[in-house]
Amino acid sequence: MVMGAIIVGVWALIFLFSFLNSFNEAYLRNAINYEYSHIQVHHRSYLTEPDVKFSITDKEKMISALSSNSMVQAYSARQLVSGMIASSKANSGVMIYGVSPADEAQVTALDQQLVEGDYFAEIKRNPVLISKKTADKLKIGLRSKVVLTFQNIEGEITSGAFRVTGIFDSKSPKINESVIYVRQSDISRLVGFEGVNEIAILASQLREIPQIEEDLRREFGEVTIRRYNIVAPEFDLLEQQSTVSKQMLTTIIMLALLFGIINTMLMAVLERTKEIGMLRSVGMQKLRVFGMIIWETLLLSLVAAPVGLMMGFVTNLYFGERGMDLSRYAESLKEYGYDSIYYPSLDNSAYYILMLVVVVTALIGAIYPAWKAIQLNPLEAIRKL
Amino acid sequence: MSMPVIETIKLKKVYNPDKIPVVAIDSVDLTIEQGEFTAIVGPSGCGKTTLLNLIGGLDVPTEGSVKVADTQIGQLREAQLTDFRLKHIGFVFQSYNLIPVLTARENVEFIMLLQNSDKKEREGRSAELMEKMGMKEAMDRRPAELSGGQQQRVAVARALASRPKFILADEPTANLDSKSTESLLDIMSRMNQEENATFIFSTHDHRVIDKARRVITLEDGKITSDERR
Repeated sequence: MVMGAIIVGVWALIFLFSFLNSFNEAYLRNAINYEYSHIQVHHRSYLTEPDVKFSITDKEKMISALSSNSMVQAYSARQLVSGMIASSKANSGVMIYGVSPADEAQVTALDQQLVEGDYFAEIKRNPVLISKKTADKLKIGLRSKVVLTFQNIEGEITSGAFRVTGIFDSKSPKINESVIYVRQSDISRLVGFEGVNEIAILASQLREIPQIEEDLRREFGEVTIRRYNIVAPEFDLLEQQSTVSKQMLTTIIMLALLFGIINTMLMAVLERTKEIGMLRSVGMQKLRVFGMIIWETLLLSLVAAPVGLMMGFVTNLYFGERGMDLSRYAESLKEYGYDSIYYPSLDNSAYYILMLVVVVTALIGAIYPAWKAIQLNPLEAIRKL
Repeated sequence: MSMPVIETIKLKKVYNPDKIPVVAIDSVDLTIEQGEFTAIVGPSGCGKTTLLNLIGGLDVPTEGSVKVADTQIGQLREAQLTDFRLKHIGFVFQSYNLIPVLTARENVEFIMLLQNSDKKEREGRSAELMEKMGMKEAMDRRPAELSGGQQQRVAVARALASRPKFILADEPTANLDSKSTESLLDIMSRMNQEENATFIFSTHDHRVIDKARRVITLEDGKITSDERR
């Protein structure tokens, strides 16, 4: 019974940890790949006053530096304009991303998120990519004409007619909700200003992010450089929530295991009262009886825990390769930026830590039964039926 | 006969002294010498088992003292008393009390293991005892595979394994049939002779009483007769 409880408990923890990890990793991956990138660079004043006029002053120099930096996988310079999109039937507030199509595709894989149309092709003048959600809101489709209204660099309201050439379905809910993409050259012409307000950077490796930041800070003092977890504090929150969830799960399962061990070992002591009485009578010291119960529990955990770990490992191998399909909940998961298929994985260190936690739990669980065993009066114990 | 192994002086045991006192042993003065084969007899409730428990250090007297060899066992602390039992006293219980997961031989060796004897000594002594007990063929069987008589023989071998000063046997034949009783008594008698082992039984089995060379009769916690044969 103790072994069964340990096996199931350890397996369940491994599975839950792995699932939580894959859940968080998927969110982080989607948010970075489709929304935030690893690093964002803005004009110092843009974050407090998001006006198109606050553009990155050393744009050319920065782009040149990024192009020659081997740690940078891709970057996209964007002109960000806040405005309205209107069809003949409805309108909506949007953030207009004026981008270089080729660069943006490298950073956010926008070209691969199209569900209809082409990626800035066919129509030569003023193409716009909108999300499926925006298309539904405006009750428009491919090749529909929309009017974008915004302030130009002089602060005057200006408009431009655009043609929907593509409809995308991003894995980022925020992008789906309020972002549309146009060519930077088109929006610059209408705004009357060619500057960029944001440069999104993807690093080749996560560990290279600090070095890229440092290089940029050293060379460009007049900009704000922020990492994805600063841009979106929910990353850290998610990480903390995940850690707390894992700790709570471990505590709950280990508590259940602890009481299971105490109960089972108490039963074992009760069933062996006579035997323990005999051992004490013939001269076994209390400490040795205590150690015997502890050792017995420890052995059970040392046999059971690796079995549970192995089962968890095999489960992870299976689902890590085939994925856990949660398509049934795809719509609601997508709303929060999650995928519908998950590939559970767990660091090797987690297996060692769990092994240690189980052994410690077993040891703690054995203390009370062992103490009860040495409290038995040999004479009374030996008379038990 | 030689030196005294056990000496009790004014030994008294009263149960429930504060509520309804029951005097189980009442001022018993008793001396048992090395190599004796003694039966303590008497009707049920006369105090036979209590006397054995007091001599064996499993129970604490209300008054009086128990001296084993030169040691006043009442003056020993619990751990010392446990160690004393391990080294100097052998126990044979009415219901055998063998460890079910160990073989007959392992049950015998286990006492020596507690005494930290080395493997060679354990194996040699257990093999010798199993042979003397007529258990050579069955020594690798577990208790569940042995008859009651065989189990009690293993229990006697276990009691003898550590070469104790004396062996206390509480109703050792109570659960045995005539044939097994006869066989066990023969073995114990032989061990008494060959190993000069001191045996003290509590019993009301006449076959045991007939074999004993000293019969002490208890009534109401007092020795009423002490007959040497």
